[in-house]
Amino acid sequence: MLLPFYWVLKTAVTNENIYAYPPRLLPESPHLFNFVDVWYFIPFPRYLFNSLIVSVLVVASNVIFNAMAAYALTKSFPGKHAMLLVFLSCMLIPFQATIIPAYLITSKLGLLNSYLGLAFPLLSTIVCIFVFKAAFEAVPQSLVDAARIDGLNEWRIILRVLMPLSKAAIATNVVLAFIWSWNAFLWPLIITREPTMQTLPLGLARFLSYMEDTTGALYAFAAMVLAPSIFVFLMAQKEFIRGLTSGATKG
Amino acid sequence: MISRRALLKSGAGAVATTLAAPAIAQAPKKISFLTWNIIDQEPMIRGWITRFVKDRPGVEVEWLDKKGPEIPVFYQTQLVAGTPPDVINTQGALGLEYAAQGALLDLTPRLKAETSVSSRFNADYLSNWAYEGNNYMLPFYITKTLLFYNKPMFQTAGLSGPPRSFDAIIDAAQRMTSGEASGFLTLNFDWLYWPLYAMNGVDLLSKDLTHPTFNTPTAIEVTDRLAKATEAGAINKISWTGRWVEPNGAFAAGNVGMLHAHSPAYFFFKGQGKWVTPETLGVAHAPGGFATPNSHGLGISKASKNADLAWDFLKFVTNEGAQELGVNRKLVTGNTAVDAKNLADLEKSDPLVYSILKTQLEHTDKMVGNWRLGNDSKVKEAFWPELQNVLLGRKDAKSALADAERKVTRELKRG
Amino acid sequence: MIPKIGRRGAWWRKKRTRELAIVACFLLPSLAIFFLYRVLPLGWNLLLSVQYWSPLKPPRWAGLDHYQEMLLYDDVFWQSLKNTLIFIGASPIAIALALGIALLLNSDLKSAAVYRSIVFLSYPLMTVAVGIIWRWMYDERGGIINFALRESGVVAKPIPFLQSFEWALPSVIVAEVWQVLGFYMIIILTGLQSIPQHLYEAASIDGAPHWAQFGRITLPMLRPSLFLCAVVGILNSFTSFDLVYIMTNGGPGHATELLITYIYKSGFGQTKFDYAAALTVVQFILLLALTYLANRAAGGNAGSLERQ
Repeated sequence: MLLPFYWVLKTAVTNENIYAYPPRLLPESPHLFNFVDVWYFIPFPRYLFNSLIVSVLVVASNVIFNAMAAYALTKSFPGKHAMLLVFLSCMLIPFQATIIPAYLITSKLGLLNSYLGLAFPLLSTIVCIFVFKAAFEAVPQSLVDAARIDGLNEWRIILRVLMPLSKAAIATNVVLAFIWSWNAFLWPLIITREPTMQTLPLGLARFLSYMEDTTGALYAFAAMVLAPSIFVFLMAQKEFIRGLTSGATKG
Repeated sequence: MISRRALLKSGAGAVATTLAAPAIAQAPKKISFLTWNIIDQEPMIRGWITRFVKDRPGVEVEWLDKKGPEIPVFYQTQLVAGTPPDVINTQGALGLEYAAQGALLDLTPRLKAETSVSSRFNADYLSNWAYEGNNYMLPFYITKTLLFYNKPMFQTAGLSGPPRSFDAIIDAAQRMTSGEASGFLTLNFDWLYWPLYAMNGVDLLSKDLTHPTFNTPTAIEVTDRLAKATEAGAINKISWTGRWVEPNGAFAAGNVGMLHAHSPAYFFFKGQGKWVTPETLGVAHAPGGFATPNSHGLGISKASKNADLAWDFLKFVTNEGAQELGVNRKLVTGNTAVDAKNLADLEKSDPLVYSILKTQLEHTDKMVGNWRLGNDSKVKEAFWPELQNVLLGRKDAKSALADAERKVTRELKRG
Repeated sequence: MIPKIGRRGAWWRKKRTRELAIVACFLLPSLAIFFLYRVLPLGWNLLLSVQYWSPLKPPRWAGLDHYQEMLLYDDVFWQSLKNTLIFIGASPIAIALALGIALLLNSDLKSAAVYRSIVFLSYPLMTVAVGIIWRWMYDERGGIINFALRESGVVAKPIPFLQSFEWALPSVIVAEVWQVLGFYMIIILTGLQSIPQHLYEAASIDGAPHWAQFGRITLPMLRPSLFLCAVVGILNSFTSFDLVYIMTNGGPGHATELLITYIYKSGFGQTKFDYAAALTVVQFILLLALTYLANRAAGGNAGSLERQ
């Protein structure tokens, strides 16, 4: 499981050719220059900043919009079945097939080259809606009824009752939304013209040598793009531990 | 959607007609310059832009660089949206495809009017981008295939020099094959392997590009021999399965006798191969002097709003810029005067690179694999998988070439 | 829900309308995004698939020509269809694996947390990077896998994983499973977390063995999560685009060509946007059919649990 990672890190700290035969198990003359080079060679802080803004935007709106949509989907209403079908089928449309119309639409909205434009297609994701939906449905109806009798309106129900009991779903949403927006490459490639608006994966790709890179720089790049996502996951980790529901029902 | 396209078309038409009128500079005039994977030359290009705008007040040049696989996506999207970069740099036959689509400005009238410009280029390379008789691009930097060979391996096998015929290639390859060592490797993208067929007198299409001419007994025999040699290990399998890293890496490892590739391959395998020195690396033309070009061209988008300025920039880059480019990247630019001077300097400073680059300017009348097709990628897609099937032993030559002929005919008919 | 005493008719209707209004409002933002970026593009593709079109040229009516071409003459289409189905077929195995891992790691032990992180680590890695890494690992000369196999004496000659017609697709699938395992795990973990503890406690008191608990409590309660995983597995046939593109580019000779790579190559490689649109429509229909089947298997209604 971990072997590829070890190799990534090993080659990230050396300059040796990864295709050399036989492959070496330990890095020879390790150095951190690759990481430093990346920082100085390109406007790394700017790209980092751009990526952060876009990801924060995406994560925040995902949690809000997805929770709302999921809540609506837990209720029964005419056309619910059709609506579910619509959501499911939206998932089945690959991004590669939507590049041109997506660009034209974003252009019409005047969002080219902007943070909102970068985030727009990802502001809500269907997978995460279903994650929330599953979590909401697992909350015992009795709790919801109790809240309603107490006079709470829909928003409050979500905020005070459902969300606290769906910490795992929120964590999943945050992690996934962050990863998807952080790693996005094709969309930022098309939507940004100015180098100052580019996101990290895009910016780092500029750094790669012009002949398909086989040395450590590539892996330094991969490692650096990877780091924040791991960090977010580690922070959200503890939400996957069980133990929060049981208390509420018993009481 | 349809109305939008109609709007686009009429918009493009309006722009085209106003291009004829002289441009009066009022607001800052801006052109965008898209290059293909040349980011390592950032200081040089920024220098060009600075010098270019210095003499032209009110002009801005926006520079974008994208890697090869990213350019079609980027450019096509911009094209549909009506905002393509003014000056674009493409590699290989992509320029022809864009020309066929109507995305590029026809440069023929300008070249006819300014003979000082058209005469500065090597005519054979300039015609690389002539589609239906019109010129759409100027050479940015040019390359074509040649034969690199491993001198020590040749000596061990008792071979005196590079092969001078197809039979000699196969023979030499077989002699150098043993254990992990193989005799011959070629790149396969963008028709780079075609000289192997050209030297046997096989051409892909008729002169008027209307029907395939490759389904001949000779071609079948050649394909069969190549397949057998591949199976025996004389021709390294990577020739037919690899892209860029694998073939060059294999040659760099030092156990491949010959590499049939274009000049940039040298810099790649030299970096990886410790055995490569002027004494051990042999440089030669492929038998018959046949070679497939794989050049970079510069063109102007038809939808450009500042075509004259873009043309100015083109002239600047291929003249003042070419000198620097040739020196920095050690390549041939297609600008004959610049190349002559750079090569003369290289002869003294780096004889090996000089010998490699010299081949790029010789036998330019024997360039093959460069059919002026607007649907080159489709024809390639119809032909190459079938050929690959034979060369990797999955199909026999006769039926594969027949199938390929069928498919290519379909593509050509579709236009 | 116990309505308050009063004029039931009108009051109930009003409340219902308000409820519907809320449902509509809550669905609106997400629907808007999906409408713009999924539904409209699908419509564009649908329209394009019955036309002859290339950028800068006006469209002409084509009727079902592209579909005819695809189904009758295009063996690359059938090859990519087959490959796509094989690719999707590997996902139940991956999901089962992820289920096992999730069950093992569903505890609040520190070590479990570490293992969870390790398993999940592969997912945030950009698919481009994953592709490059695995492509190198499979390499015949410098790759670690062949090196290990040869050193340990399992094989005499290196196996051309990504270059052989037989090994290429399984190799790509292995890389894909490696990356997506963490994702399945996270979905299942979320689902496991929302199963009320007291159900297990009651079953234990009743003396039910572990495997019965698993079959009677865990699995059914996990239905929505498993359904989600199944759908994601179906989606993987195109979300792993980068992986396939970098590792083999569909080769050798279309052995690893998926529908999505074929769509992309037709569109941006060969400028056959109209044909690519037709392919997209066909892929969409295929995926829709598969999702429908998965929905049925999960008990309908996207595997949602009836209130108990």
